[in-house]
Amino acid sequence: MLGFLLVMKAEIIRGWIVTRRYWFRTLTSLIIGYGMLMILIAGFFYSQPAIEKSINQLDDPTRATNYILGFIIGMFAFGVIGMFTQGIQGMAQTGVLEQLCMSPYGLVTNFLARAVVASISTIIYSALMVYMVVVSVGGKLYFDPIPVVVLLTLSFVNLLGFGFMVGGLVLVFKQIGQLTIIVRMALFALAIFAREEFLQQGWIISAFMHALPITDAAICLKYVLVKGQQPEVGQFVSVFMHPCFYWLCVSCVLWTFIGISLFKVMENYSRYKGTLGIY
Amino acid sequence: MHFKELNHDENKYTVYLDEVSKTFRTYHFFYKDEEKGKRFLLRKKEACAADRVTFGIMHGEIMGLLGPNGAGKTTIVKMVSSLVKPDSGVVYVDGMDVEKKRKQVLSQIGVVLEGTRTSMWPLTPLENLYYYGNLRNIRGKVLKERAKQLLDFIGLSDKKDIEVRRLSRGQKQKLAICIALIADPKIILLDEPTTGLDVQSSRSIKDKILELTREHGRSALVTTHDMHVAQELCDRIGIINKGKLITCKPTSELLEIFSKQIFSVRLDRNLVDGDLNALAPLIKVLNTDFTAEGPTLTIQVPEPYPERSEALYILFDTLHKKKYQIRSIQQKQVNLEYVFLQLTGEKPVFDETKLPEQE
Repeated sequence: MLGFLLVMKAEIIRGWIVTRRYWFRTLTSLIIGYGMLMILIAGFFYSQPAIEKSINQLDDPTRATNYILGFIIGMFAFGVIGMFTQGIQGMAQTGVLEQLCMSPYGLVTNFLARAVVASISTIIYSALMVYMVVVSVGGKLYFDPIPVVVLLTLSFVNLLGFGFMVGGLVLVFKQIGQLTIIVRMALFALAIFAREEFLQQGWIISAFMHALPITDAAICLKYVLVKGQQPEVGQFVSVFMHPCFYWLCVSCVLWTFIGISLFKVMENYSRYKGTLGIY
Repeated sequence: MHFKELNHDENKYTVYLDEVSKTFRTYHFFYKDEEKGKRFLLRKKEACAADRVTFGIMHGEIMGLLGPNGAGKTTIVKMVSSLVKPDSGVVYVDGMDVEKKRKQVLSQIGVVLEGTRTSMWPLTPLENLYYYGNLRNIRGKVLKERAKQLLDFIGLSDKKDIEVRRLSRGQKQKLAICIALIADPKIILLDEPTTGLDVQSSRSIKDKILELTREHGRSALVTTHDMHVAQELCDRIGIINKGKLITCKPTSELLEIFSKQIFSVRLDRNLVDGDLNALAPLIKVLNTDFTAEGPTLTIQVPEPYPERSEALYILFDTLHKKKYQIRSIQQKQVNLEYVFLQLTGEKPVFDETKLPEQE
């Protein structure tokens, strides 16, 4: 635990120094990011009546907000997995990975701490986006902070587990780093289109969907934010009673276990192959 | 020589490699064999980086590993630092098995790997030391003091607030040494520490390595291509080729063995072929140099004293019988380059100007 906290501290300080030192790059990326966000939000505000009208004209008025929310969750998943895949490749190229491999805390602790720190901006950005969307769709989304925080935390842990698995593979097979972009894109798409109806198409598809790290998380988040935890209008059933929440908990435990175990196996195999820390 | 056999003496070694072997296997798809002109769907290739390598590094000692490219020097450094897992054999650091007590071992060693990639270039040397200190459980006042001391020691105090990307290659290498020393390790592993550096930077790094071992009691393993670095720096030298440790002896002893074998004999006239044949196989003529005062033969005699003595009797006997005049005899002082080329099977170019002579 101490190791985790020390690595986190070192990473936060490093991130802060780089942000401050390369202020022009930080500023321009902030302006670009903020500008894009503002355009998106302004678009929502400006066309709010039109959006509301269009939404109400749809067969299922929640479908549009479903997609928007899915887009944000997908971005979150894309970022978290990318820290492992692209992160490992980048560190291997600069030689920093070799030093991390020689840290007495072990590679898992180092990566966990780095991923948590690197996710801070992704979490802030995603939370801000969700909030802006809630405001801009004029009460079409329901924001219940406790379930949202719990679900986002579980989603993050779930994605970390999956990230560890993919990262472990990248440690050994450096060339698949590019291939993982496809996996990230697939998760991104799944987060956008994930709906409860997907889980009612036979047990094979249903099992496969539950096995993926983002399906249950996206469904639960949409259930809270879009449906207001109401399966039928006026009937309140907490998300913590939703079957997908339990699947999410199981998936969290499984992915964390599989991810970290596989990462350790792959780290060991990489040491055997002599490719640990090099690109 | 096994570790178990050294029980009475085991504290002598801070690092000990016990019959360590490593072979790298690579698989090539659609491999084209240039010699046979054939293409194979899948081809397995093997490269032996360590073949039952056994040696130890004593407390406060600088051990040098010399070898041509691809000999397995870096693999040995990586096996000691647990970046590479041996196929067989055991690596002990401070009496601990590297595979079984990896975490404890990692806190005992500092590693400077080849190149200048260790440090984070957007950060300053001081920030780098703080960062890596945290990764190695050094923090607070201790970290601040140690970082300052290390920068003073290595001579980077005036550069402590300059981003690493703006430093010269030599300064980056010095910083890499500081990073390796931040956790105050007992053992420091240096992979090609002076490669690509100018004379001044190279000298400065060599001095610091010597200071670390002589004054601070650390042990060091240095791999290098540079014979001068090895000869100047190392107390003991191991020569490795194709994964095999050919020899591992104190530097002076290694040079002495070969020096005892090489003589130059100046005669009044050149040896004819028949006389040359009479000297074989005990005496090998390495070189004949023609000067105005007569030809000078550089000969090599066998190492063990009885055979060397026998060879010299044959030489003098032959020269005496054939009425050659011996104008001078000198024993050659060989350098490490000569020894290295001899042991790795390369034919040394016998350059008279490079070898000092002893009457």
